[in-house]
Amino acid sequence: MKAKQMLVKAVGALVLAAVSTAFTVTAYAETLRVGTECTYAPFNYRTAEGELTGYDVDVAKGVAKLIGAEVEFVCQKWDGMIPALIANKFDLIVASMSITDKRREKIDFSGPYRISVGRLVGKKGHNLKLFNADGSVNAAGFKGVKVGLERATTYENWFKAKLPDADILRYDNNEAMYLDLQNGRTDVIMTNPMKAYLKFLSKEDGKGYEFVSPAIEEKEYFGIGVGIGLRKGNEAVLKRINVALETMTKDGSLEKYSLKYFPFAIHPEKWVALSE
Amino acid sequence: MSELSGWWDDYFWGAMVVLRVFVVALVMSVVFGLIGSAMKLSKSRIAQRLASAYTVVFRGTPELLVLLIIYFGAAVTLTSIVQIADPNVKFVDIPPFWAGAFAIALIVGSYMTETFRGAFLGVDPGQLEAARALGISNFKTFIYVRIPQMWRLALPSFGNHMLSLMKDTALISVVGLEEIVFVAEMATSVTVKPFTMYIIVALIYLAITTVITLSVMALEKYANRHLQGSR
Repeated sequence: MKAKQMLVKAVGALVLAAVSTAFTVTAYAETLRVGTECTYAPFNYRTAEGELTGYDVDVAKGVAKLIGAEVEFVCQKWDGMIPALIANKFDLIVASMSITDKRREKIDFSGPYRISVGRLVGKKGHNLKLFNADGSVNAAGFKGVKVGLERATTYENWFKAKLPDADILRYDNNEAMYLDLQNGRTDVIMTNPMKAYLKFLSKEDGKGYEFVSPAIEEKEYFGIGVGIGLRKGNEAVLKRINVALETMTKDGSLEKYSLKYFPFAIHPEKWVALSE
Repeated sequence: MSELSGWWDDYFWGAMVVLRVFVVALVMSVVFGLIGSAMKLSKSRIAQRLASAYTVVFRGTPELLVLLIIYFGAAVTLTSIVQIADPNVKFVDIPPFWAGAFAIALIVGSYMTETFRGAFLGVDPGQLEAARALGISNFKTFIYVRIPQMWRLALPSFGNHMLSLMKDTALISVVGLEEIVFVAEMATSVTVKPFTMYIIVALIYLAITTVITLSVMALEKYANRHLQGSR
């Protein structure tokens, strides 16, 4: 009987040893493994020189520096991002992931380090009075202005609620919308400012156009923004990340990162903590 | 083609990853195929059932799914097993290379099982009876009588399996391996030239599969040399 027990124990130890050598068993160390796509310029991407860079990467490095941890990036396809986090392939998602209620059922999020906004683009020098000086909507200014936007988007919902009488043209894709803006079928278009900048304003076709509104940041329509994701049950780490992001929002680090990639701010002006 | 400058080395190392996965998965899938077909042809009912279950499951589920289940599922399962023995272990990781190669080998191995089974059955039973009559051991019969006659029959579909194995490697970037599809995605993200970048991937795959096809043709010619008559 005793010999049998010994044998079981010995075999168990052997299997364990084999498993630990075959696979990397990583004990807790202050290295934060950050999952990101590596293919989503200008937020997280690799240059031809092989350097990983972008707004997300800068934010991840900034946070790691503030909480005194090493950072190690893991490239992960978008579809497997949350499963990989849950399977412990990395500790944080810093991959331009929008904070949504559905995702919050599975993972925790930090406060937003990038905002979700809508913004209007129109011809330069048109002097449309669409917004008052305090940033509120000037409904009278929208009289006779043809607005283009993508069908079934948050922007359409926003217009329905705020300017139900606006003259709206709906499009199935961004490209057609930019074309009609150039053709004069619409006077202004509402879209995501980052997309508008990358696909249109920064290109030859977009030379004569500019943003004709402030960034409209209304969470009930456009969402809270983009946060750092982590496994549930890591309250201590979450707290430290939130403190670091708050510091970076206040000391201008996030502004510096965002102006590196865009000629306008994409970070939240004020730190917003997520409510439970 | 100027947008390709700077990405050649990434494509090269990506192709190396693909080739490594291919070789490792090929060896494993041949082993799985031989074991599977031996089990299917054995007299033991349990072995037959097990092998049937194997081919039903892995021929009947999508490759991508098997890959994801092995990569994500196995890591979680292994971690909880190891944590029973040593609660201090935070997690056990299966390297994406081995997870990817193993998953592909399991699937292709299930197809090989059927191919090898068919090929073994194609060997004339008279050959085995003759070997037994001459008093040759079972093992020697297997090596010297069955295998040389069987692989000739298995070659054509074996070549097909090698090609599908090669192409399955395009899936492994989903577990984070930096193979050529992934390189193309990274390059596209920066250069915004998806067509060029994916064409390069296609050409690399085509080059490798051409080599495979030609080798299988040469092997078939070698295996069937006794049928060609004397010159």
